[in-house]
Amino acid sequence: METNPALPPPNDLSATWAFLESGINHIMNRLEEGLSYKRYMDLYTGIYNYCTSSRMNPGFTSEPLAGPGSNLNNNRGANLMGSDLYQNLQRYLERHLHEIRGNSAQYMDENLLRYYTRNWEKYTTASSYVHHVFRYLNRHWVKREIDEGRKTVYDVYTLTLVSWRDHMFMHVERNVMTAVLKLIERQRNGESVETSLVKSVVESFVALGLDDADSTKSTLDVYKEHFQKPFVESSEVYYKAESEKFVTENSVTEYMKKAETRLAEEENRVQMYLHQSTHKPLITTCENVLVKNHTEIMWDEFQNLLNADKMEDLHRMYSLLSRIPEGLDPLRTRFENHVRIAGLNAIEKVADQGSENMEPKTYVDALLEVHKKYNDMVTTAFRGEAGFVASLDKACREFVNRNKVCKSSTSKSPELLARFCDSLLRKSSKNPEEGDLEDVLNNIMTVFKYVEDKDVFQKFYSKMLAKRLVNGTSASEDAESSMISKLKEACGFEYTSKLQRMFTDMGLSKDLNDQFKERSSVESNEQVDFTVLVLGTASWPLQPSTTNFTIPEEVERTFQRFKMFYQNKHSGRKLNWLFHLSKGELKANYCKASKTGYTFQVSTYQMGILLQYNKDTSYTFEDLKTSTDLSSDVLTGSLSTLVKAKVLNITKGAAVGEPSSRYDLNMDFKSKKVRIQLNVPVKSEQKVEVEETHKTVEEDRKLLMQAAIVRIMKTRKTLKHVVLVQEVIAQLSNRFKPKIPDIKKCIDVLLEKEYIERVEGQKDMFSYVA
Amino acid sequence: MSTNASNSENKKVTLKSCDDVEFKVDIPVASRSILLKNMIEDVGETDQSIPLPNVNEKVLKKVLEWCEHHVNDPQPTNDDDDSRRRNTEIDDWDQRFLNVEQDMLFEIILAANYLDIKPLLDIGCKTVANMIKGKSPEEIRSTFNIVNDFTPEEEEQIRKENEWAEDR
Repeated sequence: METNPALPPPNDLSATWAFLESGINHIMNRLEEGLSYKRYMDLYTGIYNYCTSSRMNPGFTSEPLAGPGSNLNNNRGANLMGSDLYQNLQRYLERHLHEIRGNSAQYMDENLLRYYTRNWEKYTTASSYVHHVFRYLNRHWVKREIDEGRKTVYDVYTLTLVSWRDHMFMHVERNVMTAVLKLIERQRNGESVETSLVKSVVESFVALGLDDADSTKSTLDVYKEHFQKPFVESSEVYYKAESEKFVTENSVTEYMKKAETRLAEEENRVQMYLHQSTHKPLITTCENVLVKNHTEIMWDEFQNLLNADKMEDLHRMYSLLSRIPEGLDPLRTRFENHVRIAGLNAIEKVADQGSENMEPKTYVDALLEVHKKYNDMVTTAFRGEAGFVASLDKACREFVNRNKVCKSSTSKSPELLARFCDSLLRKSSKNPEEGDLEDVLNNIMTVFKYVEDKDVFQKFYSKMLAKRLVNGTSASEDAESSMISKLKEACGFEYTSKLQRMFTDMGLSKDLNDQFKERSSVESNEQVDFTVLVLGTASWPLQPSTTNFTIPEEVERTFQRFKMFYQNKHSGRKLNWLFHLSKGELKANYCKASKTGYTFQVSTYQMGILLQYNKDTSYTFEDLKTSTDLSSDVLTGSLSTLVKAKVLNITKGAAVGEPSSRYDLNMDFKSKKVRIQLNVPVKSEQKVEVEETHKTVEEDRKLLMQAAIVRIMKTRKTLKHVVLVQEVIAQLSNRFKPKIPDIKKCIDVLLEKEYIERVEGQKDMFSYVA
Repeated sequence: MSTNASNSENKKVTLKSCDDVEFKVDIPVASRSILLKNMIEDVGETDQSIPLPNVNEKVLKKVLEWCEHHVNDPQPTNDDDDSRRRNTEIDDWDQRFLNVEQDMLFEIILAANYLDIKPLLDIGCKTVANMIKGKSPEEIRSTFNIVNDFTPEEEEQIRKENEWAEDR
């Protein structure tokens, strides 16, 4: 049972302290027995009475506290009582802690931790009681001392912490930390341990971080110095040894799993029972030991993982190496190389039949397949990291422009890509569904992005678009405009302006034909169904015909009337007639095999030939050449298809085109179809066309380079040769990659034309001539 | 006077004055005293009575009246020390409450200091300060029954030292 001694006389220090000490002793050692309100109040009142005793006894003075400000007469100054109680308390705490410390010597390891944490908790709980009991002292004497700048006086709770730090912690922390580190090591080895002990120790060390300059603030100095430092050091030693042993006994992929697990465990450890501030130093140290020290073997393993498409392991390697600076650099280089080779191999495989007959779809699909595979890898395994995206782009640009199919020149890729577009946009039974088409077009844009010679693509695309429009073989206007807007988005307005102009011309022509038809129905009884497309020379990649042609008289009248009609409407415009691109339909009623007759779909030239047979059924080659005015080559070409289709029979001469050969109308013509397509392009013409296109690209490039040089020189006035070349390359990079010798040639041309001149006395320096 | 029944389900503690008179009060009311608040929190709630050896019945009754009236005030914090000092206003209820005999006023101040009820201590001191304001030394001496124990030389000395504070 607790005893309740009577309150001591207020001005008797030794009686007061004796009274207080027994109460404090009770709180410190036997708080679990309880404390009565009365005892609590008496302790508080004892302190109150002592501290206020000087006022009651004006003649009594306590020993004065030395220091500045105490030069006033003691009788008159507002001296506060309390320093004796404070010092007695301080001495008491020292004795008390000395005892606790003495008892700790018998404990080791976990038992020591238990002893330390149990006493810490008991001590801090009791301290907060004592702090409250001494509140009157805190409010007055302590407050005054602190206000006057005394650094070694603290409020009572802080005093208890300082005492613990100086008389307990400083003497046992080494043994405590040894025990803590042993415990954590056992946990790392897989044993289950009492982690709450460590948590308590951490809390104690953190609480002891008192700022000597300002006791109301706390710092982490004690924790950092006495806990974190040894802990991080021991972690480093542990993982250094473990990882070095593990890699000699296991595969790299196994090691990566281990490292990943260990890092997660350490993250968890911080959450579970360490102070949050330890996160960074601990994890950085672990990353150094577990990842940085083993980068070489991981880098070396990377190629194997790529070869085997080990997504999971690749991702693991990525996340481990991304933790350390420069850890990913070698991976990015190797990845780029790997993708490039994969691309080249894929093309090699499909290029067996030779680049001449390369099927555009097969080629583009092969490119896309490689891109898709590694794009997926970048997104899943490498989390879309910018560096890997750049490596992928670099590799793709490389194998899209330089592979087995493009051996001769980089312009093969854009040509095949444009052809693939044409095959998709042209009317065909194989056209994909609308939704799928959009996907395919997007895929095309993926490849397009990597194509260097975008001007070549433009050339081929506009050629084939022109054909689709002129021949009316475009599958869908929506798809056409969708593709053009994609190109516009990728390359800008200028790149597609001509393509768009072509659509405009088609629209205008439709209106024009409607007007002409209306006029015709008023003016004359028109028999011939006549349609004209009026297309701007500047926008359309169309070549004039190489041969003369006499319009058959059946069409002549309508032809002349249209010319009149158009001249009235737009005087001053010149119409060039591209008969080689025109076509017509003829109704044939002479055939014995069919009562209804056949419809022949023919080229205009073929029409010119066949209409001659309205007057006679047999002509020689020379006859036809005179009446149509066609060149021998074209006449021969047109006749061969007619002969091959058995519309005409060759009755004299061995081969079509021989000067003396003769052609009779085949009255016995027979066919299962009612409409017969005779207007087939000649193979050799197509090949010539491709070569022509490539040639015009070269010409256009020269002009583009010259224009760029003039533009640059006009703004810069004078420029060094090297800088000029660099700027030209930069300006044209979204169209094509100019070759340096070509740029040099263009500079020479411009020097000759005196657009620019050499600056005298300075080597390789040009200036602009206004 | 009615007490606010909504707080803490009317949990009560018994306070006992030095002349052995018991007061049953709601814990929130008693907790206006930081001394009592800390103790109840530390020791826990029991049915023991709490002896207050330095406060008599008359004064305790008065102090508890103030505590009941201010039971819902926010607890003062350390930060508002300055604003508290600058402000000499006392609200009407408190003025009426402290309109008591001088002895009683001093007893209330002492009790507020002992029980650690800072706002009450503050207004008590302000009231005394207001009693001093604008008075000459002789008037102050008569108000508080103070015998002048300065010699004329000492008085002159003090006046000189404090010349700067004189009204001009």
